[in-house]
Amino acid sequence: MDSGETYSASLIRLWRVYRTTKEMCYDRGYDVAEEDMKLTLQDFAARYMREDGEPDRSKIHFSAIPSEAMMKKYTPIPTAKDPDPTPQIGTIWVEFNADENVGLKQLRDYMQHLVNGAYYSGVMVCTKAMTGMALRLLRGSSSLAEGPKGGVEVFVEQDLLVNITKHELVPKHVLLSSEEKKQLLVRYRLKETQLPRIQVTDPVAKYLGLRRGQVVKIIRKSETAGRYASYRWAI
Amino acid sequence: MAPKSILKTPTVSTNAPLSSSTKPVTQRQRNTAIYHANIISQQKNVENEVLEAILTLLDFPASPDADPSRPSAPDALRFQELIMPFQPSDYDSLLEERNLNGSCGYALCPRPKRRAPSTARKHFRDTTKGVEIVDKKMLEVWCSDDCARRALYVKVQLNEEPAWIRQGGASEKIELMVDNAEEHHNALPLRLKRETAKATPKILHDDEDDAAAAWAARDDALADLAIERGEKPGRLSKANKDLITAQIKERVGNAPPVPPSLPSQTMGPSHMAIEGHIPGSAGRAVPVSDEEEDDDTQDWDKHLPG
Repeated sequence: MDSGETYSASLIRLWRVYRTTKEMCYDRGYDVAEEDMKLTLQDFAARYMREDGEPDRSKIHFSAIPSEAMMKKYTPIPTAKDPDPTPQIGTIWVEFNADENVGLKQLRDYMQHLVNGAYYSGVMVCTKAMTGMALRLLRGSSSLAEGPKGGVEVFVEQDLLVNITKHELVPKHVLLSSEEKKQLLVRYRLKETQLPRIQVTDPVAKYLGLRRGQVVKIIRKSETAGRYASYRWAI
Repeated sequence: MAPKSILKTPTVSTNAPLSSSTKPVTQRQRNTAIYHANIISQQKNVENEVLEAILTLLDFPASPDADPSRPSAPDALRFQELIMPFQPSDYDSLLEERNLNGSCGYALCPRPKRRAPSTARKHFRDTTKGVEIVDKKMLEVWCSDDCARRALYVKVQLNEEPAWIRQGGASEKIELMVDNAEEHHNALPLRLKRETAKATPKILHDDEDDAAAAWAARDDALADLAIERGEKPGRLSKANKDLITAQIKERVGNAPPVPPSLPSQTMGPSHMAIEGHIPGSAGRAVPVSDEEEDDDTQDWDKHLPG
């Protein structure tokens, strides 16, 4: 803190991206060390700076395992056919891609890596937006046999510079488990199609990694009621 | 007894399944829905096809010492097949992906792309019109100008129309700029490059005839197949004919069109006309109306009693 050392702009940028990524994993429910989220710039530089002052992206990749609570949340309701369902979540692999442009080849290599490492899902953070064809592959990847089970998410560094959920105007989003979702529908005598919706491409939905069909509870401040909860069905 | 509601009793409860509350769909509505659903699914299939083709073409050609000017017959044929559903924009994506991979944009060229003279973002380039400033990326698309010409020769032949709304897509064929067209004959003869044909017209003449004959035979076979499938020639094969019920009738004129002409103002007593009719006394000056007047008087005489 006291040192007058100045760091390169790209290092500071990546430090902020790194912290937001860690916070994102924590907010989703993965086990993330407290000190990782609060990593100072000095420590970050000490760990990941190359000699020329630029960050070394190949060292920053990390994996995270889901916490107990998250496992529970992602476990579907047991049925007669499947009395002991497996949780729909697993280890996540976060990679910071150093390439200037990410195309089909990089994305395919990344998917291959996820499958080889037996990761359930993956997050790729790239410096610039991907090519159009890579986006097309990504869109179809959930149905693709070669990709990982939990799918791949791609973020641009630009979007992770700031943690959007910390903004004053962004209300709290809480993901409901399938059990909670069922109770909600019974309580209000609704079908899920009658809920308000949220797109999975919504910034907060992307941050939380929502999947189609999940329900989030949104808790806002209200002048009259104190707190006001509403529910959104991710589509 | 429960208090009676003053509201209208809803015929359908809100919790009832959706199908019962909606109006019964007519066959026509159902057909329309299916028709559009088919279009969307076709579109999805084509997009996947293009994606698969690009993935394949990324690692093209298979052998590292292939010559773009003389591609092997199977390579060329495969390239032509894969490129078929492309639009020009898809082709641009292919170039982009290949460049990201570090190879020349032309899919039949195994060489790496050209390197710009420096790492500057913009470069000067001498053209016939003078010096141009271009992006570094623009310089690094191809391995040589020759490859650029070959690749763009393919691009200009691509159909602007997306593949899912093309009619009878099998008929069109992408030509390649190749020097060894003779080798491709056994697969399917390529239409020959014009320059080579001009340079040695005598030797290639027989070959050319053969090629034309083979193409004609292939077209005939395709037409036969289409008829066998139950298609009428020149019809869209996948079109849903149920939706089109109206009969289209052209109004064909059997007489050649005649330009409208103004009644002449100078000659004839048009100023005397009352709603187009010229009264008898004035009409005598005009010879045509003169005869009519005579007829009239005769008729008038005939009908006179006595």
